[in-house]
Amino acid sequence: MKHNFFRALSTFLLALCLFAVNAGELVVSDPWIRSAPPNAPALGAFMVLENNSDAQVSVVDVHTSLAVDRVELHRTKMADGVMKMVPQKSIPVPAHSSTVLKPGSWHIMLIGPEKVPTMGEVIELTLVLDDGTKQVVAATVRQGEKMMGEHAHDD
Amino acid sequence: MIKFILLLGAMLFALGGCQQADEIPETEAAFVLPEVVTLTDFKLTNHRLGEYGIENTRGKWSLFFFGYTHCPDVCPTELFMMAEMMRAIEKDPSVLVQPPQVVFVSLDPQRDTPESLQQYAAFYHASFIGITGSQSSVDELSKEMGVFYERVYHRNGDVLTLDSEEDVPEELKNSYLINHSASIFLLNPAGELHAIFAPPHDPNRMIRDLAVIQGAWR
Repeated sequence: MKHNFFRALSTFLLALCLFAVNAGELVVSDPWIRSAPPNAPALGAFMVLENNSDAQVSVVDVHTSLAVDRVELHRTKMADGVMKMVPQKSIPVPAHSSTVLKPGSWHIMLIGPEKVPTMGEVIELTLVLDDGTKQVVAATVRQGEKMMGEHAHDD
Repeated sequence: MIKFILLLGAMLFALGGCQQADEIPETEAAFVLPEVVTLTDFKLTNHRLGEYGIENTRGKWSLFFFGYTHCPDVCPTELFMMAEMMRAIEKDPSVLVQPPQVVFVSLDPQRDTPESLQQYAAFYHASFIGITGSQSSVDELSKEMGVFYERVYHRNGDVLTLDSEEDVPEELKNSYLINHSASIFLLNPAGELHAIFAPPHDPNRMIRDLAVIQGAWR
């Protein structure tokens, strides 16, 4: 019984290692890029950023293995029924908290891809943090999820 | 939103729309207009069908969504949501009297050609139709439906907002975003504006509302 427990635990921990990249205190999980039409001028990248430290961490830039014109950090906000896309200088993750990059909210925009990646392709994203450290994550291209409109009030 | 409702009210008054059935069907998310709005004919273009106007909407239920292909977040989200809705309808066609026709109108004819727009829309679902045309034709249709939009430019970290009539500064020609309404507009088989789905949208809720609206029509 005990043996089984430890086996399950080690499997669980292994799974954690596979799905979350831990560099310092920022844990990145479920990085993905939304599958888009072959002629899409922009792609959205999403993930969960979890900060286990006592100080705020911010993502200030993102580099990618994909050939693109540029990368921008964005946030979608709805005001009076109008969706506003607001470029951001950084994506903050407060201490002991998480910031979810998802459709209809915070996201990374890959603008002007030379070639739009297809479903299942894995794209490397390098997150540049405000302390200068870098964190590399592998984002898989998959289908978009419906907007989490009901949870959009994350101001 | 108040501006939008006022505009809608003004439209209803100005157009003297036809009275809907005495009893407005009870919907979960859709706002069924108390009076349908007769739309002025418009001349836009679809890559496959050629000219696309109000005639093309007759005889079927149409869902109009306004956006642009450079749209980083909202349009892919909404088009994917409507594709999910179509797949659910295909799985069980009996849920509706008739499956709707999804029409994606580009507010950005400066960058979206009918061809690129159609390729973009059809990626989400083969039945989707992308239409666009001259900026003035697009503007007329969007104004009539109460769609608000504005182009936003970012120059040296400053935000520069242009309204629909203003020309784009040369150096920013390719790098603007468009803030726009994320509502979905339902046209009935008579080509009249019948109901509005304000965000957030859910495929199943959309289907249930469409079923109620279609069932109550005529």
